[in-house]
Amino acid sequence: MILLLSVTIGLSVIVVFPNFSEAQSELKTFVTHSGKIIRTTGEVIDPLYTVSTVEFDPMEYLREFNYGNISKLADGTTVREYTIIAEDDKVMEVSPGVFYNVWTYNGTVPGPTIRATEGDLLKINFINNGSKDHTIHFHGIHPAGMDGVFEAVGPGGGKFVYEFEAGPVGVHPYHCHVMPLEEHIVHGLYGVFIVDPKEGREPADEMVMVLNGLDTDFDTENNFYAANTIPFYYQHHPIQINTNELIRIYVVNMVEFDPINNFHLHGNLYKYYPTGTDLVPSFYTDMITLSQTERGIMEFVYDYPGKYLFHAHKVEFSEKGWVGIFLVNDNSESDESDMEYGS
Amino acid sequence: MAVSETSKFKVAATGVIPFAFVIVMMLYIFGPGADLLDFGVALPEVTIEKVDFIDSEIQATVRNTGPIPVQIAIADVNDRIQPAAVEPDGFLDRYETALVRIPFEWNEAEPYRIGITIDDGTRFEKEIESAAFALEFTSDLVIFFAIIGTYVGIIPVMIGLLWLPFIRRISKSKYHFFLALTVGLLLFLGIDAIEEAIEVSNENLAGSFNGILLTATVVVISFIGLYYAGQKLIDRADSSKLTKPVAIALMIAIGIGLHNFGEGLAIGAAVGLGSIAFSTFLIVGFALHNTTEGIAIAGPLSKDKTLSKKSLITKLIGFGLIAGSPAIFGAWIGGFSYSPFSSVIFLAIGAGAIFQVIVVILRLIREEGDKNLSGSSVVAGIAIGMLVMYLTSILV
Repeated sequence: MILLLSVTIGLSVIVVFPNFSEAQSELKTFVTHSGKIIRTTGEVIDPLYTVSTVEFDPMEYLREFNYGNISKLADGTTVREYTIIAEDDKVMEVSPGVFYNVWTYNGTVPGPTIRATEGDLLKINFINNGSKDHTIHFHGIHPAGMDGVFEAVGPGGGKFVYEFEAGPVGVHPYHCHVMPLEEHIVHGLYGVFIVDPKEGREPADEMVMVLNGLDTDFDTENNFYAANTIPFYYQHHPIQINTNELIRIYVVNMVEFDPINNFHLHGNLYKYYPTGTDLVPSFYTDMITLSQTERGIMEFVYDYPGKYLFHAHKVEFSEKGWVGIFLVNDNSESDESDMEYGS
Repeated sequence: MAVSETSKFKVAATGVIPFAFVIVMMLYIFGPGADLLDFGVALPEVTIEKVDFIDSEIQATVRNTGPIPVQIAIADVNDRIQPAAVEPDGFLDRYETALVRIPFEWNEAEPYRIGITIDDGTRFEKEIESAAFALEFTSDLVIFFAIIGTYVGIIPVMIGLLWLPFIRRISKSKYHFFLALTVGLLLFLGIDAIEEAIEVSNENLAGSFNGILLTATVVVISFIGLYYAGQKLIDRADSSKLTKPVAIALMIAIGIGLHNFGEGLAIGAAVGLGSIAFSTFLIVGFALHNTTEGIAIAGPLSKDKTLSKKSLITKLIGFGLIAGSPAIFGAWIGGFSYSPFSSVIFLAIGAGAIFQVIVVILRLIREEGDKNLSGSSVVAGIAIGMLVMYLTSILV
């Protein structure tokens, strides 16, 4: 009898056991894709629409250019000196609640946007404070010894000075070139290098977008995609721009694992300068396809105010973070005189 | 007196001392400041145990099955990130569960992969072959399951019991053949239940549950427990109103009842998971199988010549209900509150019960005269029983 009773009790415990977690507390709400409002007694996990911030600020990165410490040579050549420090032990919140070991140049992914004018003499003081060998390999034209491939810079304070003349005109990536290469790139050792033409470009509201991905579980597939590292950031923090104002975006695709990426703009088309090496646009389109480290310059003007999406039209990427919004403010008297270009 | 007290104390002390050392060792290993064994990296793990599709929403039951606490950070459907809610909250201690609610306009009968990403960026996934509405607890469904349970459990067992007059009239060796046939049938069912339990645990339970060992443990405990209880019942039969054959038949009925509970669970779960066609097959298959279970009960009962006709009929109906009706309860639980863990447990209990019934029947055959269980009728019976089940299992 006792046996039977204990069996009965045991069985009922097993039946009830999996349905334990039913706590009651105050209701929270969140909005879905379709605008439906959902109420929950629990926690909302919504990196898409809920405004949230993490350690890295993509809004600050967007329009930040590092022109270096400027000096002049006797012959009038501008010398620009930069310091870049590599680290590989930082754990960063890359999406709300998700922590990932990023390898950084100057503490951020992407690293600082290095900007110079064609013909300037560049001196990049590189310090490796990481625990592995690292280098900086610039895309562009430079002597073999400055290529950052065969000159591994040792960990724990190793130093190297990359010295070369800025060129050619355009937008280029720089990244670590130590083997295993894929690992060094996908952890975040990359950034943008802009070479301005001597005669300058038309004044514009300029921004940098590095299209990148994060493989947070190391299965050689990206778990997140983004413009400037943080998924969905520009969706819940729209980029504010004005009507009748020239917008210029320096786009660099650093996505690994997936062969292509792309950039689609809503309610508008852009002039596209592949690699930015030519001053005449090659395309007038709302869609470009980019392979690894493929990059270029986009220019466009919005006529109508409002909210416009921009995202990968490889929709998988946009649904995993590579999506943003331009919030176009009405600016009837366009005033381009107070806008700057280069320096 | 004093001497015996001291010796009792000594016995107790010698029993307790090793335990004391075990506790000291545990304290040493896990105690504060003891980082002796603190090396290696503990990898987090969560398991999505269950996915329910309800109106415009997908709900996933997530359990932390790893060695360290985790925080649920992101939910996705088909590897596309979705806004979601996690109740009661996203922080999961070891073995804690949470319900992740993902608002999603899903389409019926399409496959879905539900993913959960935790704080360290690791993503875990569960694939659902075909989305279907989760069953809601309505009186219609309760009746529906009761009818299915009746078809699968009660009716086939009752039909099987109708063989009783036939078994009564046949010769001893033919009777042995039928008993052995049941052994073969039940052996197949027992192995089948174990396979099913292992399959469910592999697909739905985390590795930390040790699915195969869990199944083995429950099978053995179920077997031993029922064996013990059954023996008590038979022993008592001498002193009570029950005759020995009736006691054995009752035991077999209880064992088969436990097994049918597991079968009911499987059917309810199949309906709940939306594989309706699959469950139609299941129902036909189970109904065929279960007819044979009636024979198993009828066998020993037929040896009791003392029973009056009326009393025999009441007993047949009673045993039929004991053996068959658990299928109804199983279907209710499987359909309305399916949990892979309880499924594995019940399937294993059922398997243990089946093996217990097998032992009882074999013993009956031995007592009836075939001491080595090597008579041609016994050997042929077991072999044909297995073969019949295998062939019908291909058909269904």
